[in-house]
Amino acid sequence: MNGWSGKRLRVNLTTGKITSEALSYEYRRKWIGGRGMNSEVIYSEVPTHLDPFDPEARVCFGVGPISGTAAPSSGRVTVSCKSPLTGGFGDSNMGGHWGAELKFAGWDQIIVQGKAKKPVYLWIDDDKVEIRDANHLWGKFPREADTMIKQELGDEDIHIVLIGPAGENLVRFACTFNDVYRAAGRTGHGAVIGSKNLKGIAVRGSGVVDIARPKEFFDVCNRLRQTFKTDPMTKFLYEIGSLSLINVAVHDGWIGAKNFQEGAHPDAHFMSGEEHSKTVLKHREGCFSCPICCGRFTEIKEGPYAGESGGGPEYEHSVPTGPRVGVFEPNAIWHNMILTNNYGMDGIETGGTIATAMEWYQRGLITTKDTGGLELEWGNQEVVSKLIGMMAMREGFGDVLADGASRAADRLGLGDEGHKYTFSTRGMTMPGDDPRGLGFAYGTGFAIGTRGGCDHLRALPSLELSGFMYPGLNTKILGDERPAKPTTLVGKGYCTFYEENQKAMTDCLNVCCFTTHWSFAVLTADQVEYFNAVTGMDITEEEFQEIGERIVNLERAYWSRMLSGLREDTIPERFVKEPMPQGVPDQTNVGSTFPIQKTLPGYYKYRDYDLETGFPSERRLKMLGLDYVAKDLAPLRAKYNTEAEKKKKKYYY
Amino acid sequence: MSENKVLVFNQEKCTGCRSCMMGCSLYHDGVCGKVTSRVAVVRNEVVGESFVVGCDLCSDAPCAAVCPTGACSMDPQAGIAKINPAKCIGCKECAMACPFGAINMSIKTGKAFKCDVCEGRVEGPVCADWCPSGAITYTTPTIAFKAKRREKLNERLAAVKAGEEV
Repeated sequence: MNGWSGKRLRVNLTTGKITSEALSYEYRRKWIGGRGMNSEVIYSEVPTHLDPFDPEARVCFGVGPISGTAAPSSGRVTVSCKSPLTGGFGDSNMGGHWGAELKFAGWDQIIVQGKAKKPVYLWIDDDKVEIRDANHLWGKFPREADTMIKQELGDEDIHIVLIGPAGENLVRFACTFNDVYRAAGRTGHGAVIGSKNLKGIAVRGSGVVDIARPKEFFDVCNRLRQTFKTDPMTKFLYEIGSLSLINVAVHDGWIGAKNFQEGAHPDAHFMSGEEHSKTVLKHREGCFSCPICCGRFTEIKEGPYAGESGGGPEYEHSVPTGPRVGVFEPNAIWHNMILTNNYGMDGIETGGTIATAMEWYQRGLITTKDTGGLELEWGNQEVVSKLIGMMAMREGFGDVLADGASRAADRLGLGDEGHKYTFSTRGMTMPGDDPRGLGFAYGTGFAIGTRGGCDHLRALPSLELSGFMYPGLNTKILGDERPAKPTTLVGKGYCTFYEENQKAMTDCLNVCCFTTHWSFAVLTADQVEYFNAVTGMDITEEEFQEIGERIVNLERAYWSRMLSGLREDTIPERFVKEPMPQGVPDQTNVGSTFPIQKTLPGYYKYRDYDLETGFPSERRLKMLGLDYVAKDLAPLRAKYNTEAEKKKKKYYY
Repeated sequence: MSENKVLVFNQEKCTGCRSCMMGCSLYHDGVCGKVTSRVAVVRNEVVGESFVVGCDLCSDAPCAAVCPTGACSMDPQAGIAKINPAKCIGCKECAMACPFGAINMSIKTGKAFKCDVCEGRVEGPVCADWCPSGAITYTTPTIAFKAKRREKLNERLAAVKAGEEV
């Protein structure tokens, strides 16, 4: 078969039953792979009322038809589950080489269900699949467990997905790693994997991916590889990594220091990619088949953390456990990053939750009586570092925070006032991009992301942000150059809609969004071209967009089934009401707020969501071949606007 | 006499992305896979190091010297060892003799295969062309060594400038 392997693996850990299921042509064409196939499985197999830690809950690992090929950055893998953090739909994807290896082993997807009696790990050696004992690996950091499994299996070239101690301890934002440091960070599936007593999945693949039209595919890839050589964004990402954003973020005031009380802080410059490369960068790392190689490997040379090393940093990982909690000392930030990686926790939620607690402390909502004596002052690195460990091991006050900021607010009984500072939507805290003055499409994407958390990676409308580096690009894609200005309403509805669909497809193909969104070396037309050359299909750009739209609507419908809709489409209050304060002299966004109520209607217009409820409309669902979803939602539409529902709090999990 | 170009591997620059392997596999075999690539990347994720292994294009190649059937022999014009699959009996002697591990055995045919510097490709070998970090370059030995010497001088100059003892 070309592109796909054409089969998926289903492992039931309760019964030990391992099955291979064939994926039909229609199914593959409808859901493509990765995020699409995973979302389909979550929607149809995991009821919305099910506890995410119930043995019957599923966790899916999916790769796409392009995975494991010469297409740029084609080694990613999507991990999906019902999120233990938000209770809603959750997925996350990671780079590294595991996704490609899974494809070489002959699988498009793994579905894990059930719960093992004792710790186990999976060993997939092409089509031989084995459930092995992992008692000796339980409690180990991914870097230790990785080495142990490789020694045990006698092959150091295999690739392994692992969870850390946080996942074992059911920390609700535990994440999954492959190749030790490449994390699928968000929505907490590490805890779901932990709840199944599964430590990891080791894979060895000796197969190849067949290509329908090899000559054509080589020519597309070759052309794209040449494009990357001169691509302006690629240069930044290779040289200084995604921390190249730090100096931009400080200048434009969106770094979100001290839980978004400050948009820019002069000391943040010390953690910039430029400084990192000069001081602690040991090595540049590349995920599978990547022409960019933004990965870093850090070795701390000075101070109390000297000698520590690990993969990273990355912008969104380092800002929450740095400036967001008031820590600006670079070595301390790299240390926090290494800690969260070792324990296996999402750096964004970890930092976001600690920052939330710090703001509660600042405002007197909690005191040292609640925290067990910890003084949660801004920038108190000793406490931050200690709390990370306490959260992972669920000790003392760390146990409260290990449930995430929103649940912690409820556990502490802080009410609406407490929730105001969690910077969450749908129960997940947001990454380190303050939307004030950043971009209207970008902020709109925060409100409507189908995995909650003001997530920048759902729509990722970077056309308006990178637009200035690629003159004429907005015209080429959107037919208008005006949307290239970040703070204009012109064309932003369509921009968000278009990029959200394209991002969904990018995740289905499991290629990296840095090739298609931050940098624009690969456009939709190129993606269609390499997809067709690999699979031998003949989809058009319109169909490509339509498949993306189908997946966004399906994920949205999962939330609708939980009666989450229009009211949850918002961003934290501070961005709407409090004008951005001045932090550095040349800051560009001083005084701005984010007019979410003005930017949302344009988006809804293209999405065609029902304006009473925010649910996907029946006609659009039917148009996208989702009749069964329309049927599921029909009885719920009237229920959404009942008085009881209206009174419900806006935060959600 | 004009000098033949060679592949130069700079391990310090290798990011371990395996773009080279995918390019090689696709260009030669029309499929994508690690097992069909003539160049290989070895990774150690825990310490974050990667190592790229390819044919170093020996001028007195051990692979050609040990081949019992003459399948692997020096091409005097290109200056590299080549394997003729028709004559190869799959004895693996060449693979064992290569000091770098740059020869693979095909899972499909059981015969040896190795780098042919993408013979005929105007832009040179795909691996070097696609390498994003400059870990693989395709150039003449003279130019490569001149660059290396120049780099050493620049390192020394930088040290002097920084006030370090030299």
